[in-house]
This record gives sequence, C-alpha cells and structure tokens, in this order.
Amino acid sequence: MSKVIVITSGKGGVGKTTTSANVATGLALRGKKVVAIDFDVGLRNLDLVMGCERRVVYDFVNVIKNEAKLQQALIRDKRVEGLHVLPASQTRDKEALEPEGVGRVIDELKAMDFDFIICDSPAGIEKGAQMAMYFADEAIVVTNPEVSSVRDSDRVLGLLAAKTSRAEVGGPPIKTHLLLTRYSPLQVKKGEMLSVGDVLELLGIPLLGVIPESKAVLQSSNKGTPSILDETTDVAQAYLDVVYRFLGEERQHRFIEEEKRSFFGRLFG
Amino acid sequence: MTSIDILPEAPPAPTARGQAAGTPRRTVPFDLKGTMAPLTVLRLRSLDLPIIERHLRIKIAQLPQLFTNAPVLIDLGALPGQGAGLPIGELTRMLRSCKLVPVAIANLADELREQALAAGLGIMHQAAARPRSDDRAAPVSGAGAGALPGGDPVGGNRTPTPGARSPRAGGAPAGHAGPLVVTLPVRSGQVVYAQNNDLVVLAPVNPGAQVIADGHIHIYAPLRGRAVAGAQGLLGARIFCQRLEAELVAISGAYLTADDIPEAWRGRPAQIHLEGGECRIAPL
Repeated sequence: MSKVIVITSGKGGVGKTTTSANVATGLALRGKKVVAIDFDVGLRNLDLVMGCERRVVYDFVNVIKNEAKLQQALIRDKRVEGLHVLPASQTRDKEALEPEGVGRVIDELKAMDFDFIICDSPAGIEKGAQMAMYFADEAIVVTNPEVSSVRDSDRVLGLLAAKTSRAEVGGPPIKTHLLLTRYSPLQVKKGEMLSVGDVLELLGIPLLGVIPESKAVLQSSNKGTPSILDETTDVAQAYLDVVYRFLGEERQHRFIEEEKRSFFGRLFG
Repeated sequence: MTSIDILPEAPPAPTARGQAAGTPRRTVPFDLKGTMAPLTVLRLRSLDLPIIERHLRIKIAQLPQLFTNAPVLIDLGALPGQGAGLPIGELTRMLRSCKLVPVAIANLADELREQALAAGLGIMHQAAARPRSDDRAAPVSGAGAGALPGGDPVGGNRTPTPGARSPRAGGAPAGHAGPLVVTLPVRSGQVVYAQNNDLVVLAPVNPGAQVIADGHIHIYAPLRGRAVAGAQGLLGARIFCQRLEAELVAISGAYLTADDIPEAWRGRPAQIHLEGGECRIAPL
C-alpha cells in the first residue's frame, strides 16, 4: 500500500523542501521505494536540493498534460537505491496543477508500488499548496519556533481537515505530524524563540521531531546532497530520528535542550 | 451561499479515475442545491426611510466586518398592512448605499410584488421568513457567517467540519436541536457559526479563528481568537471561557479588543456580558 505524505507549512522558508529531501532520502535508506514530487511549479527547488537538476528532461506538468510518460519524467537517485524525484516545471504556473491530472499521476505512482509518495508543497495556501495536500494520507507540518510560522501552520492544519480528498469523501482524517525546524535551545532559553512546549500547546498535534538550527543545512542544499547522508552532523541525526519515528519506532527526542532529557522527561514522561 | 469551494471540481473517486482516463467525462457546469444559508434579516418597523437609514448606519459602524456586503432579506411582516405604500426602489437604493446587498423580500403586501421584482429582489414565501417571536431584536438583526470576509465557514448550515456537529438531545422537545458542539480546535482562518443557537467549543479557539453564536458561547479551553455572541442582537448573550486570551470579544454589537481587555484578565477563566450597553468581564 502506497502512502501519500504532504510536507507543508503555510509559511515559506521554514524548511519544507529540505525536509522533503531528507525524509525521502531517509525512507529510501531504510529500504523503501520512495518518490518525492515537487509541487512548487514555477520555482523548482527540490531537484537542486537533491542534486539531480542536471538530469531533468521532463517534469510533473509534462506528465499531467500527457506530454510525457511518467517513467520519462521520474529521475532515479544515483546515491540511494529506491529514491526517485519528480521535478517541477519552471516555466509553467500553478494553474497547470489540475486535480484530475494530479490524481492520475498519483494513481500511476501507486500502481508502480511506491511505498511513499512525498509531496513537497509550495508556500502559501493557494492552489499549489492545496493540490499538494489534496490526496494526502498523512501530513508533516513544518514549523519554525516563531509566532507567524506557528499561526500559518495552524491555518494549514485547518485546511488539511477541510479541503482534502479525505475530508470531502468523509474518510478518516489525515494523520498530522509536527516537525519543528531551525530550533535553537539557546535562543529559547533567552526567550527569543518559542519553546517546543509553546508550539505544541497551540497546535495540539503530535511531535515528530525537532531539527536544530545548523549551518550544515545550507551547505548541503548548495551541494545538492541531503544532510541526512552525512551522519556526522546533528541535522542528519535529527532527520534519521524523524524517519525512524515515522516508521513507527520509538526514539527519544533530542536537540531540545542543551542539557538533554530533563525537559522531555517532564513533557512526555 | 456560504460554501467556498477552492477546488473548482472535486476529482472522481480513485477507483473511478483509472477507468475514466481514456473516456470523455460528462461534466455538469454547476451544482444546484437547496440550502439554508444564513442571511441577515432586516425587519422593518417603520416606513420612515431617513430614520431607518440613520439607525442602520450606527449599527453597521459598530460591527462593519459583519455587515459590509452582507446579503439582506427585507422582512415587512412587522409593518401595518405588510408595508403597503413603501417605496421599495428607494429602500433598496438606500440599503446599497449602506454597503448592504438586498437579495430578497418577505411578508410583503401583494401590491408591492411588481415593485420588488423591478428592484431585483427575490420573493420569499417560506415560514422561515416570518417574524420571530423574539421582539428584542434591533432594527437590523442577524448576521450570517456568509457575511464574514476572508473565512472558511465551518458549521452552521455548511457541511460541518469533522468534530463540529449538533447532536440532538434524546428527550429534547421537538424543534430544539441543542447547541452546536465543536470538539476539534478552531484554527486560524476558520469560522464557526451557531445560527439561532448556543455554541459549545471543547478545544482551543486559536488566534485568527472566529466563533459566532446567536446565543451564548462556551469555550472549555483557551479563547485566543475572536468570539461574537448574541450576533442577532440577543442582549443577554454571554461568552464563557476557561482562559481569556482573546483577540476580540463581542456581544450584540458591543466589543472589546485585545487592547481593551485588562492585563489582569489575560489567561484567566472569565465570562463576558453586557452591562449598560458595554461588554463587562467577570470572574467565572
């Protein structure tokens, strides 16, 4: 059974594409067959972050418009077995994402026995973001510990509950996970950043993980190598934890306090 | 009228899609649905248009976000002779100048029908358009979720969001639906409207969300967004919440913004009611 997962946030620049690249890579490292779809039609970033931009021939919109076959547009990752990217078109706009075409592509991917179909949502709550979430079974909501980001995530959680296929058909609600990115315990301590507890209290959905603020993220997206492939960094460790938890394994939350444990002992003890 | 569909047409169910791919699909260019949409009712008690206009403008100035561009049903049932002699054309022009959108008329004298049609009004026949027994209503009464700008209406007459439902109490007398009960968080951008009813919310009302009721509002969680009770002018309506962190509370047109709420009340359990035409906060 394929699972469709949307990586979404409302706000831009919080780490959706980074998360899509790392979660997709991580799941593939665990032996799953994974495809990451870039829904940011017109901007196209995911292929850069995943280092396959030089092999893009056809894209998602070509497939939607029946101008290319899905197999022609799918790019196989050279580093990790089972990892694929379906890049966005840079020359079209989000109007090209019409529901029937997107649904058809997702059905075709399901028929190809992908375990996970990762939909990297554009920022905002307009058509591109709505199409990215429309067919989802689960959602990873990426949030920065900052008031406006949290409010946008709240808005997106409302849309996930109302404007998706599952909501319209009346099926079980989309399972939502919170991923807190660019977290800096030092700044939380100084009161410059919202704490994990503050964000959880407002959004009220389960925490999938906390990704620490790190220079490694910028370096790896410039290199086109997802951070998770360099296990020495704390970002890689954090994303690996996320992937394990996503697959149902217990993992202690890390990177939340400088002296680890104590806070989470209290929160989730 | 309140339904906002962002996706222009719902895609077919996954099973049907595979088969439909090669065959031309029959598409109907619209849905025609009978619906009970919330509508602002303007129940006239006077034929004096200048006086009506003056009171209307005061009322609108108090809660512009509820009334601007609101569709309005004109109800003549409270006028002697069902409004015989009323210049309908002038009335609709005046309403439009107040940024209201008159859409229909009810309980009108037969002689007015031609004029009403000429003024572009629909004629409403149902019993629902009859005046209510509640006589405390102000000249303008009622404001529907449909009149609120920029929200995704939830609850009310729209297909409710999961978790929003109004259970019918077993032993309740006929015609009493019980309050609208919302069990999921009301999130930024969402609007929940309990029409002709009380509203009970068992989860947080987050910043940027709005809960509205024609009756009381009970929130057994933090109130961080906006709450509007007595939206049709019920002066005795109250708002109860476990933690007052609201952006705005309003009862029957009177309101307090976050800045008006004294710091001492922030984060405390509280109730808000009207006293001398103003919102008062009291302990719970």
